[in-house]
Amino acid sequence: MNIYRGCIFPDDLLYDVAQDVWVRYQDGVATMGMTDPAQSRCGKFVAVQFRTVGRVIAKGKVYATVESGKWVGPFPAVLTGEIIETNEAGFQRDILLANRDPYGAGWLVKIRPTKWEEERANLLDAAAAFQEYRKKIEALDLNCMRCMD
Amino acid sequence: MPKQIRLLDFGLLSPLRSQVVYHAAAYAMTPDSPNTIILVSSNHPYVCIGVHQDLEKEVDVEYCDANGLPVYRREVGGGAVYLDSGQVFTQWIFHRENLPSDLETRFRLYVRPLVETYQALGINATYRPINDIHVSGKKIGGTGAAQMGIAEVVVGSLMFTFDKKTMARVLKVASEKMRDKIFEGLEQYMTTMTEQLGATPERAQVVSTYLEKTAAALDAEIVPGEWSAAEEAAAQELDARMGSDEWLNQKGGLRQFGVKIHEDVRVVQAAFKAPGGLIRVIARIREGRIDDLSLSGDFTMLPAFSVGALEQAARGVLVARDLLAARFAQVYRALAIQSPGVTPEHFAEAVAAATA
Repeated sequence: MNIYRGCIFPDDLLYDVAQDVWVRYQDGVATMGMTDPAQSRCGKFVAVQFRTVGRVIAKGKVYATVESGKWVGPFPAVLTGEIIETNEAGFQRDILLANRDPYGAGWLVKIRPTKWEEERANLLDAAAAFQEYRKKIEALDLNCMRCMD
Repeated sequence: MPKQIRLLDFGLLSPLRSQVVYHAAAYAMTPDSPNTIILVSSNHPYVCIGVHQDLEKEVDVEYCDANGLPVYRREVGGGAVYLDSGQVFTQWIFHRENLPSDLETRFRLYVRPLVETYQALGINATYRPINDIHVSGKKIGGTGAAQMGIAEVVVGSLMFTFDKKTMARVLKVASEKMRDKIFEGLEQYMTTMTEQLGATPERAQVVSTYLEKTAAALDAEIVPGEWSAAEEAAAQELDARMGSDEWLNQKGGLRQFGVKIHEDVRVVQAAFKAPGGLIRVIARIREGRIDDLSLSGDFTMLPAFSVGALEQAARGVLVARDLLAARFAQVYRALAIQSPGVTPEHFAEAVAAATA
């Protein structure tokens, strides 16, 4: 695991640094969520609206819309595929899931990628992503924070 | 930051278009598009709800229908608001790299020319982080931000007038008493240029000052520009989508803690079943303390003025169950209050439920 200015980056994930999305790929299913820097910049979630399970979302579109106290934005689709599960139930129980545990309980969507081989090339492994994130975190003058309460 | 920013001053537009234009400018933005500031007011009153609000839970739709008030959902967060021609919306549609990435810094930049405009008019406005503008503890406008397409959008308004009575009326609330409390909260904690100055200033003068202050804040020239064909095409698509029942009625799931009056003030309510009867609570919370409390219900309490005494005693107390229970217990002892099946702890529990 790499840590820089409080921002954590687990080793077993792939990352889209520009879009601030992590990907865990296993048995043909990609689980995705917001990275630690992303949830820190976004601030405490107040609502998440997911696209419907079963929909095929193209890369560049949106898997979900996130609202924090002061900002609304997309959770961007970094892979093309069918949404097979969302974490709607989890966020209904605790809207701060991604602010507490962005790489675990705070996952957002699971999809079955349809262009994995092609689109995998856009993702970085943990070591390469960490190098990019160090630069990004410096540029943003960011320190990561988690909700503990 | 490019040295020129395009200005689109639409004057008065229909309620729908007053929302559509900034969405359209954002969604039509390409890497070559200019950063844009839109100024616009609505030519007819309407209600605007946040992107993740549930219409039926937040707005008295029947009242709005009966009174010719359209309701539209924006793609910016926050709560329901009643809008009319008394506000000039100041909408920034910028490339992401031309705004601070940190949201608080972004709001500080956006709010600065609004605050300086009010100050130039003689109004003692100040920035209240993260995104409010206050005048002596009263809010004179809020702001919101969103990402739409490749654009980052920040929206707010120059508040000439604000119809607080209708604002309180269009909200869906559990009781008229709650509505009264919301109105009281708005009266006490919101203000406008007209209230501050005793007269409504000229739009042209205020806008001119705002543009001058904005140009200074951004260190850029603000130049009137044209609404492009691509933007109009996007606007027409958005007219259809944002004007549709499907968009308006979609479920959002935004959970709100009462009605927010401003950053530090909320009006909340709850009902709590104690063994001796139902306790209804309406409370105004200011900076975490009870600012105003109303207790009612079907419990029995002697002497008769005890309820009022409890309400008074709670003012200023931090919203914490044990502190409230202790304060209520003091009043019970001082007045030898009798309330079968209802204890000071139950009242504290009821207030805590309203603020949970």
